[in-house]
Amino acid sequence: MSFLVPCPNCGRRSVYEFRFGGEVRQVPALDATETEWRNYRFNRTNSAGVQTEWWFHRLGCRQWLQAVRNTVSNEVLEAYLPGEKR
Amino acid sequence: MKLHFQGKALEAQDGDTIAATLYRNGQRIFSRSFKYHRPRGLLCVSGKCPNCLMNVDGIPNVRTCITPVCDGMKVRPQNVFPSLETDFLSITQHFDWLMPVGWYYKTFTNRAVWHAVEPTIRKVAGLGEVLSSETKEYEHSWMHADTAVVGGGWSGMQSALDAAARGDQVVLVDDQPALGGQSRYRKSGGDVAADLIQRLQALHNVRILYDSYCFGLYEGNLLGVLQRNPHAGVVERLVHLRTEQVTVATGAYETPILFSNNDLPGVMLSSGVLRLLHLYGVPAGRRAVIVGTFGTSADVCAELRDAGIEVVTIVHPEQVVTANGSGHVKGIQTQSGNFACDLIVVCGPRVPDVGLATQASAKLSWKSTQGAFLPTALPVHISVVGDAAGEGLIGVAAPLPYSKRAFVCLCSDVSSQDLCDGIAEGFDHIETLKRYTTATMGPCQGQMCQLSAIGVCARETGRSAAETGVTTSRPPNRGVTLGALAGPSHHPVRRTPMHYSHEKLGAVWMDMSDWKRPRYYRTSTTSEERECVLEEYHAVRDRVGLIDVSTLGKLDLRGADCGKLLDKVYTHRFSELRPGRVRYALMCDEGGIILDDGTIARLSEDRYFVTTTTGNLDFVYEWLDWYLTGTGWDVHIANVTAGYAAMNVAGPKSREVLGKLTTCDLSSGAFPYMSCREAEVAGIRVVMLRIGFVGETGWEIHCPAESAEALWEALLESGRESNIRPFGVEAQRLLRLEKRHVIVGVDTDALTNPYEADMGWAVKLDKPDFVGKAFLSTAAKDLSRERLIGFVLSGSGVPEDGSAVVVNGKLAGRVTSSRHSPAQQAAVGLAWVKVSHAQEGASIEVRVDGRPVQARVTMQPFYDLEGGRLRQ
Repeated sequence: MSFLVPCPNCGRRSVYEFRFGGEVRQVPALDATETEWRNYRFNRTNSAGVQTEWWFHRLGCRQWLQAVRNTVSNEVLEAYLPGEKR
Repeated sequence: MKLHFQGKALEAQDGDTIAATLYRNGQRIFSRSFKYHRPRGLLCVSGKCPNCLMNVDGIPNVRTCITPVCDGMKVRPQNVFPSLETDFLSITQHFDWLMPVGWYYKTFTNRAVWHAVEPTIRKVAGLGEVLSSETKEYEHSWMHADTAVVGGGWSGMQSALDAAARGDQVVLVDDQPALGGQSRYRKSGGDVAADLIQRLQALHNVRILYDSYCFGLYEGNLLGVLQRNPHAGVVERLVHLRTEQVTVATGAYETPILFSNNDLPGVMLSSGVLRLLHLYGVPAGRRAVIVGTFGTSADVCAELRDAGIEVVTIVHPEQVVTANGSGHVKGIQTQSGNFACDLIVVCGPRVPDVGLATQASAKLSWKSTQGAFLPTALPVHISVVGDAAGEGLIGVAAPLPYSKRAFVCLCSDVSSQDLCDGIAEGFDHIETLKRYTTATMGPCQGQMCQLSAIGVCARETGRSAAETGVTTSRPPNRGVTLGALAGPSHHPVRRTPMHYSHEKLGAVWMDMSDWKRPRYYRTSTTSEERECVLEEYHAVRDRVGLIDVSTLGKLDLRGADCGKLLDKVYTHRFSELRPGRVRYALMCDEGGIILDDGTIARLSEDRYFVTTTTGNLDFVYEWLDWYLTGTGWDVHIANVTAGYAAMNVAGPKSREVLGKLTTCDLSSGAFPYMSCREAEVAGIRVVMLRIGFVGETGWEIHCPAESAEALWEALLESGRESNIRPFGVEAQRLLRLEKRHVIVGVDTDALTNPYEADMGWAVKLDKPDFVGKAFLSTAAKDLSRERLIGFVLSGSGVPEDGSAVVVNGKLAGRVTSSRHSPAQQAAVGLAWVKVSHAQEGASIEVRVDGRPVQARVTMQPFYDLEGGRLRQ
């Protein structure tokens, strides 16, 4: 694993500067059922293909980013600050 | 320059490799083969084949044919009993019929039998052993460029020049000590190469890495490059080279031909013979027979004759029957007669070196016109040029025949017969054949044998080379030393600002993540841990003690919405905490599992001071930030862990000691338990938290790191009359255990929720929302199976952490912390047990040194039940 993540603040950087934060998912509502919570807590989509993920630029700007990555090729298509997707 | 080999000191010439020196001095056998201990001599002289591997200065499996001699080098052969010339284990080759391909899969199906013979097999088969007692230095470096060109032959040099002319920053990687590729050892093309070299060396935007082998191309165009002797004192440097474009100009290499006895010393590839001759001035023999088709062999013949080597004849590969000789070539038997010679020069098929391209997801297709698998469908950032792209390669009309007694894979002694057997057994796909026979899996990584193996497989299965296909190339292309991957041997160490004060006080150190912390302090009379810790314990309980707690994670939160954030991520309520108050803080994940704990002090309306455990700071910071992201809340989090130091002054006399240094009113009325103040102590601005991890009246004082040593010294000075003592982590752990204060990560694990840990009081389920509420309000609360309890041992001894808890002869839990408690005059501890046993006064057994000892369960602290001493 040696791909680059295009940090919107710092530019393209080695993935080793980042902490992986899992796929971007909807947090269940407060009154969600136990099953919904259990799904959120224990199950992953585990998709082979493009997914949006959380990444924290630990050795850079120290901010949480969202990155669109192809989990098969590890190509990162884009990365942006949450809410700033173009 | 001299090198030491088998008891002799051999003189080396300038520019010699180890193998060149040995060959010049008459050495012909360089190794014994992996399985049959057959003698093996130089073959490729370019670091591709496994024949010249030796132990050099303690490093095993060094390719001596490409390793330059250094004065005083100690070179030892490997896997020989007792010497290269006489190896008694070569008897194994007469029993090859007992050891057909896959024989140990079939023979040692019984595990016990395998365990019995495994040590012998490992001793007989195999390569070098790690013998090194000397430590070698390795280093890493990182490089960035627009274009990397791998290979310093003429097409590589031309590509580098073209890229440089475009204005690119270029790194040219070559595994040889000088540029030029083939032109260094062939007569043709030398002038063109010399001109290219001169032009390259004049350019400022081209950086040339000599003696540097590119072993892999990874995602994101990252090249792994191993640079030999980058500077004095360093054996190897691992260069992480990242570029936009990669040009693969790795050329093509010659491979052996499969005739009987083709592994006999004296059978050499033509490129090897020419390298030996032109690079080191060593003629490989006196009388040579050339095996090859007439195109290249005529050139080779002319060059050998120029050098004074007699060429007896040129034989077409189809004509060869066997090489003759024992230990070395004495002649060759062909269909047109026998010839005496001491050298058989093999002009074998050339294979493009395209491993790097395939690692970058290029596909390989068989091109019969070039007789090679060539890369197609290259990704945009990769290009392949020169011989690697098939330029100048000429395919043979029909695939070469092969003898069944020829060695295909020299690394693991796989013959063409073995491949045929494997195919007959059903392993007729090239990938399964590879795995079954281990052909292409040795140190040469298939460079010498892949094409031959494909040829045999194709012929035996009646398929074409294209249909047979090729095995997958993965990095590394060649063995990489573990030292180079590991890099330099240093470890970061963090020291608190009071480190040198501790040292003067006689600290005995312990490691806590990257930090150094005093475990305990030696005294003038003893350095025995038990006694020192006990003295420190009594100082805190009876008088006053001082401990450095700077390693705590410290976060400074400011903004109008801090309370909202803390309410969300911690289980307790913080928005309504009054300024000047402190509260214990427990953090859980969405599943209600305890992640971390600490204290949170509200310094003012919009400022909170948060502490975390030593090891979890980064995690907690990122966790808080994640929950803040996208909310738009007015919160700013600053990590002040390194900027602030912290110390805890604790004990009945701590108020008196601290009082002398500050005007702040420390009385219980003005500064009660669980409150905080910003004040001046000894003239230093500090934040004081009145908390008590150790269970006595005390203050945790946070101050700027640069003033910490002064404050520490001032407190010790102020406490001199009260006989103050610095205390270490061990005493602190004993003190906290008597108070039943839990350490997250020691007494809790990845399945612990607050209710099980008996800390339900820190969870406020009536808060509208917090992380983990969903789980904590349902399953976690009701379905607990285990409970963290305290126990007091009835008998003697102290159980080790992790000892078993037994009830009625059955395993019922485990101990997480235990110490001898002076307050209880018995061993006490914390343990996880089944909920049914978690009853006040219940009787359990704890194993101490392997024997069960009675213990009594308690849910109360072991010391100061009511907490009166904390509040005094």
